[in-house]
Amino acid sequence: MSIFEYNGSALVAMVGKNCFAIASDRRLGVQLQTIATDFQRIFKIHDKLFLGLSGLGSDAQTLHQRLVFRHKLYQLREERDMKPETFASLVSAMLYEKRFGPYFVQPVIAGLGEDDKPFICTMDSIGAKELAKDFVVAGTASESLYGACESMFKPDMDHEELFETISQALVSSIDRDCLSGWGGHVYIVTPTEVTERILKGRMD
Amino acid sequence: MSRRYDSRTTIFSPEGRLYQVEYAMEAIGNAGSAIGILSKDGVVLVGEKKVTSKLLQTSTSTEKMYKIDDHIACAVAGIMSDANILINTARVQAQRYTFSYQEPMPVEQLVQSLCDTKQGYTQFGGLRPFGVSFLFAGWDKNYGFQLYMSDPSGNYGGWKAAAIGANNQAAQSMLKQDYKDDISREEAVQLALKVLSKTMDSTSLTSDKLELAEVFLSSSGKVKYEVCTPDALSKLLVKYGVTQPPAEA
Repeated sequence: MSIFEYNGSALVAMVGKNCFAIASDRRLGVQLQTIATDFQRIFKIHDKLFLGLSGLGSDAQTLHQRLVFRHKLYQLREERDMKPETFASLVSAMLYEKRFGPYFVQPVIAGLGEDDKPFICTMDSIGAKELAKDFVVAGTASESLYGACESMFKPDMDHEELFETISQALVSSIDRDCLSGWGGHVYIVTPTEVTERILKGRMD
Repeated sequence: MSRRYDSRTTIFSPEGRLYQVEYAMEAIGNAGSAIGILSKDGVVLVGEKKVTSKLLQTSTSTEKMYKIDDHIACAVAGIMSDANILINTARVQAQRYTFSYQEPMPVEQLVQSLCDTKQGYTQFGGLRPFGVSFLFAGWDKNYGFQLYMSDPSGNYGGWKAAAIGANNQAAQSMLKQDYKDDISREEAVQLALKVLSKTMDSTSLTSDKLELAEVFLSSSGKVKYEVCTPDALSKLLVKYGVTQPPAEA
């Protein structure tokens, strides 16, 4: 079994009209055994920037801790929050530093940039960035997620419709993947507020 | 006679003094003063801005007060360029601790760590000491609110009220007279502004000559470090009677 499939994960981020959504599953497994059903894969970096890390759980946690370190110092020195594009470059650089002994993660970055314009991107485990205008997916359920998002997505959805769409795409894809599941965690971010919701799906 | 022992930081004089360290403290004695007061619900830091020219580009950055981490801040007195290096070092040390232990660095640990760095420059390397004194204000879950003062030798102490920079002796004795153990944060602000107004060279205080910052717990229980805005500071100066109010037309 591939190291990327050891813990199981599903991540998706979508762009809406002046808002974005980022969602993940909640299962943490050790191959076929489920050991946690409330595992956090999405981390808030600041009010308008979220990071999701799929893949090996340990690497996801460690990489997140290292990014908090770097971002806190950036905030203290520059006296402002990091823009999402800048953060994505930082993550990419940190991943490439470990080119010959990489972190086994696939990050999904979602944020509101200059003028609150939504920004999403994903990258592979050694930092190759992929910017998208509509949606990005990662994790063991990524193939199903691609299919679900491609058919359900439409541009310029408002935050309520975006929530429905991303939730349906996530739940239907993780139901088809044995390694991800046990509900969903969805964050909807607009320029004025952040809403966090837990989804109840097939608890298996 | 002491001339022979001046040039190297790393030798003692026959009387057992480290002249370079003492000269560093002299440099600080000429710099803008700063006062810190510990109250039961917060720590207050006030600083005198030495660089006040109309030509100076005003930005949101502060001159005397710096945030080290979410729960620790400091006021500086002395050579600003030396201070910048140490503040950066302190910030990195705080983040390294948080990375390893996944919790905020206790205030005394940070002060100790920074003072260990300062001490290194008095014992080896042949480099001169840093010409900066600090007042650290912070909160941690072990000891609550704390105030520490550190100097170029790497010595530090925990204080209820302390002053560094120009006229610090005078400020310290005034604080000793007026400080009460159960002082509130508001009273501490008042005391700090009063003491600073008496020890500063200028005749009347205006908000562009001062900086005021407080470390306290917000209503949600999180530690907050807030620098007072110039407008709010002007109002406080008038309220406590340490400035001339604008002349009525």
